[in-house]
Amino acid sequence: MSTFGALKRETRFMLRDRAFVVWMFAVLCFSSFAVWSGLAEVRQQYESIAFLMDADQQDRSVEFSKQSDWGSAAYYSFHLTYDPPSDFAFAAMGQRDASSWKHRLRMLALEGQIYEHDPGNPELALIGRFDFAFFAAFVLPLILIFLLHDLQASERSAGRFDLLVASAGSSGSLWWRRACLRSGGVLLATLVPLLIAGIFSGTTGSTLISAVVLVVAYILFWTLVCLWFASWRRSAPVILASLIGVWVLLSTVLPAGSRVIIERMVPIPTGAEILMTQREAVNDAWDLPVENTMGPFVERHPEWAGYTHSGEGFDWGWYYAFQQVGDQTAEHLSEAYTAGRVERDRLAGLFALAAPPALLERRLQNLAGTDMRSVLAYEGRVRAFHSELRDFYYPGLFRGDPFDPGRLSDLPQFSP
Amino acid sequence: MKTDSSAKLQADQLHIYRSGKEVLSGISFTVEGSEVYALLGGNGAGKSTTLLSFLGFLAPSGGSLSVDGVDVGTDLKAVREAIAYLPESASLYEHLNAYENLRYFLQLAGVPDDKAAIEAALDRVSLDPESRGRKLKDYSKGMRQKVAIALAILRDTDILLLDEPTSGLDPNAIDEFHDLVRGLADSGKTILMVTHDVYGACQVADRIGLLRGGKLVGEFSAPEGGRIETETVHRAFSNRTTRKEQAA
Repeated sequence: MSTFGALKRETRFMLRDRAFVVWMFAVLCFSSFAVWSGLAEVRQQYESIAFLMDADQQDRSVEFSKQSDWGSAAYYSFHLTYDPPSDFAFAAMGQRDASSWKHRLRMLALEGQIYEHDPGNPELALIGRFDFAFFAAFVLPLILIFLLHDLQASERSAGRFDLLVASAGSSGSLWWRRACLRSGGVLLATLVPLLIAGIFSGTTGSTLISAVVLVVAYILFWTLVCLWFASWRRSAPVILASLIGVWVLLSTVLPAGSRVIIERMVPIPTGAEILMTQREAVNDAWDLPVENTMGPFVERHPEWAGYTHSGEGFDWGWYYAFQQVGDQTAEHLSEAYTAGRVERDRLAGLFALAAPPALLERRLQNLAGTDMRSVLAYEGRVRAFHSELRDFYYPGLFRGDPFDPGRLSDLPQFSP
Repeated sequence: MKTDSSAKLQADQLHIYRSGKEVLSGISFTVEGSEVYALLGGNGAGKSTTLLSFLGFLAPSGGSLSVDGVDVGTDLKAVREAIAYLPESASLYEHLNAYENLRYFLQLAGVPDDKAAIEAALDRVSLDPESRGRKLKDYSKGMRQKVAIALAILRDTDILLLDEPTSGLDPNAIDEFHDLVRGLADSGKTILMVTHDVYGACQVADRIGLLRGGKLVGEFSAPEGGRIETETVHRAFSNRTTRKEQAA
């Protein structure tokens, strides 16, 4: 019989198995739910951004109308920064669940504003988000294990194995075909919701193709693992237990173990440390001589060396100078924190090579722009924008340019 | 290896080990074309092991096997294509009906699944026409066995290996089955069956090989136009003669 004929025969046979059809329906439901929950979250984030953009404009207009000097205008105005979800973020929310994707910035010290964000949802942090990446990386292997573990053991226990092999001539191709068709069914039920959502979300073709290739490779990996275990001359429960053990090892033990190792290998300061260092520096500045602030400030901004402040009474220039010096004081911690996260992410990528579930999740997050690199890129844009704000306000604050409300329309705009 | 060119099945000094224990200890026998050969023995005598080794499921640690002149170790695919195998208590797929089971296994073997041939085979094993469209989960053990026998017939190979084929059949069905086996042999099929049913073996076999402890301890042939005497085989099977001899 030709390969096509054999595939047709096995497909017909497989579709008559009600248990398999039920499993496929379950996979379709799981995948649809995972995609739907991602789409709902992305929609909510877009709505939040749209709402905040509108509110941001209105709030700033109202505040500006009340101000009569550059210092007050800078102090009372907020500026929205945000990182909109990509057209594939619905599939892998990744770091967007753990890191801020929006900040309302002021001209004050930046470091505290970056690392002081809404506390995460502890329930979500505990159970994780059931998005497509989670479903594909962690749930899908379990389904494949349940479908494939007894490929041969069930035939042995039913007394059909010898008859099947004797009828087929050679057994290898029979089990291959059966495994590939079952895995193919799982693949189809997994990808259909993803592709439909991708098309409607405007996901680029190359991203969708890459995602499909990743999922195909991942399912192939688990199919091979299951096939190898299924070929054991052991009972189905023994094979199932062994495969579950492999799943636990690759999905839980290795990623958790590597995380512990990485955290020990690369110690990093916490966001709270940075926040406290910067705030203490700012708070201390009120009680220190002006020179203690202006010295470090002018080192960074020699163009304002001519600025003078007697130290008597409050002055906006001095106030914003010590805000910046607060950032400078925490700068080494912030840089170490960023460099540490980059290094930890690099090491996590290496360890993930030994843990395919973590590898798939990382690759999907990479495609979705929800990985650590994207978080750091957003932080970089926030820093650049804050720097532009300082460049805009500093001439008014240190050179004594007269306050001109009309010039506020030239304020830098955040570009995501 | 010495190959008897007229033999359809030949075992020559066959040694088989399973789990470190010698299950077959140098047995030799041949089955000629159009012959029914019954391997008779108690539990653990090595009957099923012999069948499985002809199908290439168990590799000999010594000696050789050939099917229709082909060494089993050299061309397994050709060997399996030449054989229709009926396992003990053949369990076909319970979620399929008789037609679907037969079609599936025939397609698997690369044999045309002709509808008329399937009906004829099911008629031949006397499976009630009304039950043929029902799923096998609703079948009795005997009915399932009939479907499996129909499959062996439909394979239309020269050689049939039957492992305890009457197990689970009622007396009438056993008689019908024996007639069927004789008819197949008369039409040119070579049949090697293993059984512990002395009476059944004597009814249907041209020759009987008696296996005990992995050794072929005796062979009995039917006289021209007659049957093998049950009492003789039964005595040998139950080892009474040997005990008497030992006592003497």
